[in-house]
Amino acid sequence: MIYTLPHLIENSAKLFPDNEAFRFANQSLTYSEIEVKMNQLAKHLTASGVRKGDRVGVYMHRCLETAIAIYGIMKSGAAYVPLDPFAPQSRTLFVIQDCGIEHLVTTPTQTKKITKLTLQESGLKSIIGTTTELPSISSFSWEEIYAISLNEFKTVTILEDDLAYIIYTSGSTGTPKGIMHTHYSGLSYAKLSADMYGLTSEDKVGNHAPLHFDVSTFGYFSAPLAGATTVIVPDAHTKLPLSLAELMENERISVWYSVPLALVQLLIYGGLEKRNLNSLRWVLFAGEVFVTKYLKALMKCWPKAKFSNIYGPTEVNQCTFYHLETPPKSNEPIPIGEVWGNTEYRILDENDQEVSKEQPGSLVIRSSTMMKGYWNNEALTQKSLFKEIIAPGIERVFYRTGDLVRENEKGELLFLGRNDRQVKIRGYRIELDEIENTLVKHQEVEEAAVILVDNGNDDKQLMAVVLLNSESEIKNSDLITYCKSYLPHYAVPNKVHVLNAFPRTSSGKINRNKIKEILA
Amino acid sequence: MQQQLINYISVELINEELDEELDIHDDLLGGGIIDSLGMMKLIGFIESEFKIQVPPEDLIIENFMTIMHITDYLKTKVIPSA
Repeated sequence: MIYTLPHLIENSAKLFPDNEAFRFANQSLTYSEIEVKMNQLAKHLTASGVRKGDRVGVYMHRCLETAIAIYGIMKSGAAYVPLDPFAPQSRTLFVIQDCGIEHLVTTPTQTKKITKLTLQESGLKSIIGTTTELPSISSFSWEEIYAISLNEFKTVTILEDDLAYIIYTSGSTGTPKGIMHTHYSGLSYAKLSADMYGLTSEDKVGNHAPLHFDVSTFGYFSAPLAGATTVIVPDAHTKLPLSLAELMENERISVWYSVPLALVQLLIYGGLEKRNLNSLRWVLFAGEVFVTKYLKALMKCWPKAKFSNIYGPTEVNQCTFYHLETPPKSNEPIPIGEVWGNTEYRILDENDQEVSKEQPGSLVIRSSTMMKGYWNNEALTQKSLFKEIIAPGIERVFYRTGDLVRENEKGELLFLGRNDRQVKIRGYRIELDEIENTLVKHQEVEEAAVILVDNGNDDKQLMAVVLLNSESEIKNSDLITYCKSYLPHYAVPNKVHVLNAFPRTSSGKINRNKIKEILA
Repeated sequence: MQQQLINYISVELINEELDEELDIHDDLLGGGIIDSLGMMKLIGFIESEFKIQVPPEDLIIENFMTIMHITDYLKTKVIPSA
């Protein structure tokens, strides 16, 4: 029976022992190999004092060891907490202390950063995966872990409701918040997604996302459920689209999942005309809006693949889908679609009442894939929930996504923007996303971000930054004129800046806070 | 040439200061030294500093993995000055 995430590996190790579970560059692990290594790490952690419910950090770039780390940690009964190696040290220290991480699993390439980290008052007791001796902290190499005998290895009892992983995301207040998922919610996601995209043991799943971005759970959980192979895209390839396209061809990727940005870069810079990617049967994307003109162009490049627009905040994993078999006809944004299995929703107005038909409102979601809550922040957890009382003592608990949606006449959900991306200037309500959508519809604009700069004294200005395509010679003033023909006068940006590249978050989303700093 | 690259990457692109000087064999792309925005900046720097064009088809791992790889690549592009 499969009711915890490590069961995924154990089950596939029985059914497909020699199938490759994970591939990275020239290395790979079969299901039987990863089962052994997962147990070795779990045994080591237990011997080091890790108990059920403890949090263990994973501090790595994309590499093969990520898979061993998360499954070994979960097998020991602990929850894994991915730490972004690109994050500033202060943020990493915050997360380590916020959830009381005492043990960190890493690789030798992180040794310099780890050494600096351990000089701080961090509470860390041991580092696994480094060959360097560290003062006052015990350290273990991967070779030592792989030499552990599994005689007398006792499996820790885990229940489906136990904590499996915590993913930290930026909170709107500036303090990261830890989203807690259980074996149940993680497994629900794996089952629903493996089923929806028909994963089989023949599939090669392209995993582009880093561990700290929840899109990675598809490659790390859903693919093992089916006995498929997950190809972990190396960091280097995520920066060079030509090399990425080559890797996708060589690995014969059949199911791809990434942020739209990676796909747009493949389309523009990937040299796709030279690549044979006929093996692709599904292209999944999530995390941001895929600009429709690029989606159309990419779908024409890969006519055999089906595309799926996936929506879902980390708090609920995935919750809606919109499949496309042929390119959209217009340049209008595509819907986020309908909710998938074991999921229901409401669209609420400002007073938590359901809106009337086809009216915009805030989306709330109830699903088997929903988080347990925010780590160590019951107040925030309660604030994020909407409770529907059915009878005394019986309530249905929904998560408030904070996203504005509207249902169209076909019953499909349309994404209108973030609640907090709505700004007010001189009394006018403006959706920043609407301005961005208008700008990117322009032939020569590749990407756009619009921010509100508040200079105080009611002096608020709309600033747009754009990325133009390489042949473009359009002037900033032309773009403003263009906006004037599509937007109400109060929503026309006061200024347009052209950048050569956008600052990004480590998951590839546009970093609007950094853009504010650049413009300041 | 190598020193110019080391200086630019260490001063302009690196996320946090290194304890020791960047090595010409350090993995710039996989080791977390340069992010994707940094990659674009580095190409801009190379184009203006060494007066060459980096065509899109040259943007592959084999040319940009380490400072050593970049200098080998640049040697194929730059006409030796007298």
